[in-house]
Amino acid sequence: MKAFRSQVLLCAGGACISSGTESVRDAFQRELSAHGLEGEVGLVTTGCMGMCEIGPIAVIYPEGIFYQKVKPSDVAEIVGEHLLKGRVVSRLFYKKPTTQELVQAMSEIDFFRLQVKIVLRNCGNINPEDIREYIAVNGYEALGKALTTMAPEQVVEQVTLSGLRGRGGAGFPTGLKWRATAAQPGPTKFVVCNADEGDPGAFMDRSVLEGDPHSVIEAMAICGYAVGAAQGYVYVRAEYPLAIQRLKTAIGQARELGLLGKNIFGSGFNFDIDIRMGAGAFVCGEETALMHSIEGKRGEPRPKPPFPAVKGLFDRPTVLNNVETFANIPYIILEGGAALARLGTEKSKGTKVFALAGDVNNTGLVEVPMGIPLGTIVYDLGGGIPNGKKFKAVQIGGPSGGCIPAAHLNTPVTYESLPQLGAIMGSGGLIVMNEDTCMVDLARYFLEFIAEESCGKCTPCRVGTKMMLSLVNRICAGKGTMSDLQRLEELAGTIGKTSLCGLGQTAPNPVLSTLRYFREEYLEHINNRHCRAGVCQAMMHAPCTNACPASVNVPAYLAYVKEGRLDDALRVHLRNNPFPSICGRVCPQFCIDKCRRNDLEGPLAVRAVKRFMSDSRDDYLDLFPAKAPPNGKKVAVIGAGPAGLSCGYYLVLLGYDVTVFERQEEPGGMMRYAIPDYRLPRRILAKEIHNLERLGLKIKTGVNIGGASSLADLRKQGFQAFFLSMGADHEIMPRISGTDLPGVYPGTRFLNRVSHNEKIDVGRDVIVIGGGDAAIDCSRVAQRLGAKNVKIIYRRTRNEMPTNPIEIREAEAEGVKVEFLKNIEGIRRAPDGRLAATIRQMRLGEFDKGGRRRPEPVPGSEVEYTADTILLAIGHEPAPGEVLAEDEYKPAMKENALLANSKTGETPVPGLFAGGDLVAGPATVIEAIGAGQRAARSIDQHLFPGKREYFWEKMELPDVAVNMEREIEESMPVEYPLLATAERLISVEVEKTITREAAMCEAGRCLRCDCKLSDE
Amino acid sequence: MSIAEIVEKHGNDRENLLQILHDLQDCSGDHSLHHDAMVQLSRIMNLTVADIVGTASFYSMFSLRPRGRHVIRLCESPPCYIKGSENILLALEKRLGVSVGGTTGDGLFTLETTSCLGVCGVAPAMMIDETVYGNLTEEKVNGIIDGLVKAA
Repeated sequence: MKAFRSQVLLCAGGACISSGTESVRDAFQRELSAHGLEGEVGLVTTGCMGMCEIGPIAVIYPEGIFYQKVKPSDVAEIVGEHLLKGRVVSRLFYKKPTTQELVQAMSEIDFFRLQVKIVLRNCGNINPEDIREYIAVNGYEALGKALTTMAPEQVVEQVTLSGLRGRGGAGFPTGLKWRATAAQPGPTKFVVCNADEGDPGAFMDRSVLEGDPHSVIEAMAICGYAVGAAQGYVYVRAEYPLAIQRLKTAIGQARELGLLGKNIFGSGFNFDIDIRMGAGAFVCGEETALMHSIEGKRGEPRPKPPFPAVKGLFDRPTVLNNVETFANIPYIILEGGAALARLGTEKSKGTKVFALAGDVNNTGLVEVPMGIPLGTIVYDLGGGIPNGKKFKAVQIGGPSGGCIPAAHLNTPVTYESLPQLGAIMGSGGLIVMNEDTCMVDLARYFLEFIAEESCGKCTPCRVGTKMMLSLVNRICAGKGTMSDLQRLEELAGTIGKTSLCGLGQTAPNPVLSTLRYFREEYLEHINNRHCRAGVCQAMMHAPCTNACPASVNVPAYLAYVKEGRLDDALRVHLRNNPFPSICGRVCPQFCIDKCRRNDLEGPLAVRAVKRFMSDSRDDYLDLFPAKAPPNGKKVAVIGAGPAGLSCGYYLVLLGYDVTVFERQEEPGGMMRYAIPDYRLPRRILAKEIHNLERLGLKIKTGVNIGGASSLADLRKQGFQAFFLSMGADHEIMPRISGTDLPGVYPGTRFLNRVSHNEKIDVGRDVIVIGGGDAAIDCSRVAQRLGAKNVKIIYRRTRNEMPTNPIEIREAEAEGVKVEFLKNIEGIRRAPDGRLAATIRQMRLGEFDKGGRRRPEPVPGSEVEYTADTILLAIGHEPAPGEVLAEDEYKPAMKENALLANSKTGETPVPGLFAGGDLVAGPATVIEAIGAGQRAARSIDQHLFPGKREYFWEKMELPDVAVNMEREIEESMPVEYPLLATAERLISVEVEKTITREAAMCEAGRCLRCDCKLSDE
Repeated sequence: MSIAEIVEKHGNDRENLLQILHDLQDCSGDHSLHHDAMVQLSRIMNLTVADIVGTASFYSMFSLRPRGRHVIRLCESPPCYIKGSENILLALEKRLGVSVGGTTGDGLFTLETTSCLGVCGVAPAMMIDETVYGNLTEEKVNGIIDGLVKAA
């Protein structure tokens, strides 16, 4: 072959072709000849390189420069700049998904760098349609070696030694299979390659056939030699026309060179291969069904034994392996079985190819050593989850597999470890799912797939999967019952035990595994008619409302604001949330994560509209829902934070006589004593609490329940039910030295003191430890108290910070510096009287239970920071002990924690309810409001049992006309108006209210997902 | 190719039935297996008609009903589903005026769904005849259909 100074490798895998490889190749040919470079620069179309999403891909050697998403119009620049002038075209480089950093060489991209390629060794490196290129990379050398220097038994021995197991899913040892077939008497045996790759999301076999077909042909011939077969069949799905075509070409070329046919390598060994094309039947991936299909029959499975090794194709002994298994064979023969066995774990040797798909930045094919942690595949090779969403689970092993949640990201991927988690290796489909995936819907999807693909031969699978599907359908439609769930589990057990083949035996797996890890979601669907992912349409008013912890009817009030009907808008809002002005300032907006405008220009600025709407009125009295007549019952609420006040609000509206008892001198809880003034001005808080009081809610401040008076005292006063909402204000302190030194403050206590107008001299240099809202608040307050150098020290990275990115951005704009991957190890008094903090560098290690990487210290990396003030804001927790000190309430406690149902607020003590941060741990205002709302229902049901609907559970359509046929216009979200940083003094609100015009315009961007076309 | 030629090409053994049916369908002019052709085939191959129809009807890619000149197969596997294949299906149904399984009045297109096409990296994807199209959007789908209509 001719030597070129440069080579352009163009990916011509199926996916890249669909993205336009062919026109890019034509453009290269044109440009190269226009510049007279044909003799100097080689142009090779290769098989799949694995990173399909960013195709067409071009790699230029010898430098190994990697260009992504190459369009024909880019080619002139690549040829003119790179190939002629030696200047790389950086705008076509791959961008690191997490940092947006440009990477120029293929070998530097994590996706490729972390792979170990045996099966895919030639994919993307050679032209699959030219056998000479395969031969140039030692192709057919293994066949030659086997035929001329090894006895058949020695071949089997090497395969056995390698520890290779079937890559199609079941993981049966390949050497054992070959040995069993070789041991069978008789002159006629067969070698069959299973290329009926039907598992949705798995496409490694297609890539190997398209990118390196000769490796499979060579392996089948070696296998034929080892077991004594002269004929092979490749059974390929008809959905893979390109694979069939390339395989045909390859078989033709091999025959031409005598590498298939009679007397191969003069050894007297004859072997040939035919292609059999499937016709669309998933079950044909099952080996006995596949063999029936090759025989020209209906592809139905049969019971085993006899196993194919004894009685297989045409009733002859048959070795049946899948494409990926075969692709390992030439390597094993050339390098020796021990070489493969060096990779992987004790029982899972070698590598495995995974098809990475779904909600992950880098999708495509990756080949990794067995035993690699699952999280490494998702986060390092896969580059993590796009759009800042949270990882939820991976579905591994296709419809026969199972899901694995975040808590198990450290699991090494092996044949043994996955079944322990209820999943299987399967063919290697690995679908990553984010928080927007409903696990019940996922199970429904796979059941539908299986019910459709069931061949119908045996009853458990044919009828049973349909029954399971109808049960899951009911649950997704919001009509499920607990007995449906029980039935589902019973059926799953029966179908798994009694089905004829692997398809039916594994059919219940998706249900069983989602039930194992996400049972709560099934229960929410059944008991609360709620789909937290916002997928199951039947139980959803609109995605935003569904995502809101208080179920605020967002589309309705937006519709009214759009019309300028602000009172109507407020009226809708107050049905589900009595604090529109507060939430208009501090709400983290769970709603906009699910806003369908996210797929267009960006979500609605819901908070900005809400703020404008609620600031239009000081007095809500005529806008509150109608109050029920007094029912004569008294309820006490302990703690006047958002949960307690909301619960009180709903109970007052239901006709109760409610008193809220608050330990502090003013009501509001964290809204008053933790959230700083610049985010939530006191007058706004006062306005909304005052409205509640005018409605009839009694608030008594400065009363310490658990101190001077107790729950028992209140009971004597006639209170018949209690709602505990004392929050989580017990500061968690790091276990380090020096936390008691002057100048060191717990974060929320610091904020609390500032909120009492105490002037704290923080000095010039302030260090804040932590990464949550409290840490950010502390830093910005310190800045406002005159500190000149405020540093936040956070032990993880920016991506893991559990706070609103806008807050971080504004803190940084005001001059706060954030240092990531650092942690405090001790504080001491420096000789000059200032504080000295020992700060250590951290790095991200293994995954924790929540699926985040755990920071671990870097040895020897300590440095000392000096400061005047150190604020420790690492977290807080509930401490309900005092209030529940009396014997009759003690059963509500276990150790130091309160036992309360986070959905209903019920505790083990009748009449005692709880919610908000006290139950959930530190959370947000809107979550507390939702908890208060749900507890109000539970308290009402406790005092007046009986089925009825609560007004806040009824979602009404606004009486605003909406044209369902209208075209959606593109419009950018309104900007949140902010004060210039120089103007941000203490007690001045940083964010401003948008104008009436802007609010009406923004509200008009709502797509009105609450309006559904009826199915009829 | 005539039926006899197709059988000749593959060989008159039962094991070749699937490959014969593929060719028969490709040569039918409407991507389907005609009943009278299967009757003829049964005589040539010495199989019962019930056996042939029974085998053909087992596989989803054989159609016993006439189909359009172009068969559109939209992938309905999870990677495509996650990336919005449902919206693409709606777009196709809207553009063609038929639902899954239907053929347009002009006989140009039949709309079908398929199991995984294995091009998950460019999901959502579809295959029209033997050409794969990926990264589909409503706009792109309409463009592809327009192109095929123009070429017809």
